[in-house]
Amino acid sequence: MSLKIIESCVNCYACEPLCPSKAIYMSKTHFKINAKKCTECEDDFAEPQCASICPIEGAILDALNVPLNPPGSLTGIPPERMAEVMAELQAH
Amino acid sequence: MELPVLNEKPAATGGCSASSCGTTDDQLSHLSDDIREKVQNHPCYSEDAHHYFARMHVAVAPACNIQCHYCNRKYDCANESRPGVVSELLTPDQAVKKTMAVAANIPQMTVLGIAGPGDPLANPERTFETFRRLSEEAPDIKLCVSTNGLALPAAVEELSKHNIDHVTITINCVDPEVGAKIYPWIFWENRRIKGKKGAKILIEQQQKGLEMLVAKGILVKVNSVMIPGVNDKHLAEVSKIVKEKGAFLHNVMPLIAEAEHGTFYGVMGQRGPNPEELQALQDSCSGDMNMMRHCRQCRADAVGMLGEDRGDEFTMDKIETMEIDYQAAMEKRKVIHQAITEEMNSKRAAKATAAEQFAAEEKLTTRPVLMAVATSGQGLINMHFGHAKEFLIYEASPEGVRFISHRKTELYCSGDSACGEAETALQRTIRTLEGCEAVLCSKVGYEPWDMLEQAGIAPNGEHAMEPIEEAVMAVYKEMAAAGKLEEVSDQQRASA
Ligand code: SF4
Ligand code: SF4
Ligand code: SF4
Repeated sequence: MSLKIIESCVNCYACEPLCPSKAIYMSKTHFKINAKKCTECEDDFAEPQCASICPIEGAILDALNVPLNPPGSLTGIPPERMAEVMAELQAH
Repeated sequence: MELPVLNEKPAATGGCSASSCGTTDDQLSHLSDDIREKVQNHPCYSEDAHHYFARMHVAVAPACNIQCHYCNRKYDCANESRPGVVSELLTPDQAVKKTMAVAANIPQMTVLGIAGPGDPLANPERTFETFRRLSEEAPDIKLCVSTNGLALPAAVEELSKHNIDHVTITINCVDPEVGAKIYPWIFWENRRIKGKKGAKILIEQQQKGLEMLVAKGILVKVNSVMIPGVNDKHLAEVSKIVKEKGAFLHNVMPLIAEAEHGTFYGVMGQRGPNPEELQALQDSCSGDMNMMRHCRQCRADAVGMLGEDRGDEFTMDKIETMEIDYQAAMEKRKVIHQAITEEMNSKRAAKATAAEQFAAEEKLTTRPVLMAVATSGQGLINMHFGHAKEFLIYEASPEGVRFISHRKTELYCSGDSACGEAETALQRTIRTLEGCEAVLCSKVGYEPWDMLEQAGIAPNGEHAMEPIEEAVMAVYKEMAAAGKLEEVSDQQRASA
C-alpha cells in the first residue's frame, strides 16, 4: 500500500518535511514517494500528511490510482466551470 | 515657488514626519528612535525613500500552509507578486549569494524581503537559514518577511533574534464568515481544515502573531487584498483593529484576478476593484490610519527600485561568475547611503518650510483635481509620456498636494515594428488615466496629445525636470486662475 505523486506536482516542497516515514523525495521533474517506505501515515496520523497539505488537485493518487484530492475539492472551483473557462481561453 | 505638501512638519527628530510616507509624528511617537530610523530609508514604507533606495526579494520558501482564492500555486503568490510569472526559486545558500551580489552592485539596495511564492513561515528552515546568515554576513541589510500569519506565533521568538525589523502580515478579514469566502482551507495540526473553522483559526493566529510582534518592538505592516463584494465593506474594520493593536501601516491592495491565472476568483469571474473604488476604500481607512499608497505589488524575486525589476542582471548563472568583496562593498554602501540620507533630509526640510509658507498663504476655494505624473524617480517629472509604464496619481486641492496611488499602464510605444498596435495601446493608457484632468510629463507626442485632449485630460510638458509636488500645485493654480475649476463652498469642503 502506498500513495503516488504524479507529474502535476508543482514542486512546492510542502509535503516532503511532513512525511513521518521519510518516504517523499525530490527527483528530477517532481517530488516522488518511495512505495517501500510509505505507510499511508497509518500509525502516525489520521490522514495521509502529504495529501492533507498538497495544494494541487489530482497530484497524489492512492494505490488504485484514485486522486486523494479530486478536482474541485481544494479550490472549490466546480470542474464543469473550470472546463468551460479553459475552453473559452483556448478559443482565443 | 511654494511647495505645498500636506502635513509636512520640519523633521525635528530626524525621523520621517511626512504623512505622505505613511508615518506621521503622531503614529511614530510610540515607537523608539531606533524603529523610526528603520522606517525612514525603507523604500517600501517611506513614500519619499522609495525614490532613492532599492529593495530586493528572494524566493526561498515555496510551501504554503493555507489556500487563498486569489492564488494558484502553479504560479506565484498572487498576493505578493505578479501572477503567471514563476519566480526563480533559490536555496538559502543561493539567496545569500544573490543578496550580497546585488548589494555590492546596487549600493542603494537597503532591504531584502522574503515573501512568496509560498509562506516563508511555513518553510521556517529555509527562511531562517537565509536570515541567520545574512544578519551575520551582511549586517547592513535590513530584512523583512511577509506571511499569511498562520505559523506566525510560533515564529516570533526566532524572528526577533535576527536583523528583522519589519514583518508584513496579510490580513483580509477578522470575521470567519468573510474568511470562509477567501480561504477554502488551512493546514493546521496535521489536518486540512476547511471553511469557516479553518478561517477562524487563521484569524486567531494572525491576531495573536500581530500582538506578539508589537510586544517585541518589531514593526508590523498589514496587507489586505480588496475583494469587491467579499471584504471591501469589512476592511475599514480590519484597519481599525490592526491599528489599535499597533500595526504601523495598512496597505490595501487591489485583487488581481484573471481567468488565465486559474485562481478561484479568476475562474469564477470575481472582479477586482477599479481605481476609484480602491482609492475610496484607502481614503476611508486612512481616517484610522495612514495608508500605504505606493505599493507596487512586486513579484517575489524583484530587484531594484520600486516599480522596476533588474532581476535579469542577477540570475544565478551570472552571480556565480561575480567576485564579491563584501567588506569593501559595505564601506562604499555606507558612504552612498549617507549622501542619500542627507539629500533626503534637506529635501524634507525644504518641503516642510514650503508647507509652512503655503499654510500662511491665502487659500483657494476651488475643488480638488486629480493629476497623473510620469516619473522615473527622484521625485521629478522626468519621463516621456510614451515611455511611462505607470503613472503616479496626485490630488491637488486648496489644502495642498497629496499622493494618491500609482496606476500601471502598458508601454504603447514599443518601436516601429509594433506601431500597428499603437492606437489601441494608447487608448488603453488613456483609459488608465480616467478621472485625471491633467497629465504631467517631460514630453508628449502629437498623437497622444490630441487623444488626451479629446479625453478631457490636459497634457502638460511644461514642468519637465521640476519636483512633482511643486509642478502639480503650479498647474492647479493655473487651472484655478483660468477659471477651469468651480468654487467649492466652505461647507462642502468641510464635509469632503
Ligand atoms: S502517505 Fe504519509 S507516509 Fe506516505 S508519503 Fe504521504 S506523508 Fe509519507
Ligand atoms: S505538496 Fe503536492 S505539489 Fe507540493 S511538492 Fe508535494 S506533491 Fe508536489
Ligand atoms: S498565502 Fe500566498 S502562497 Fe499561500 S495560498 Fe495565499 S497567496 Fe498563495
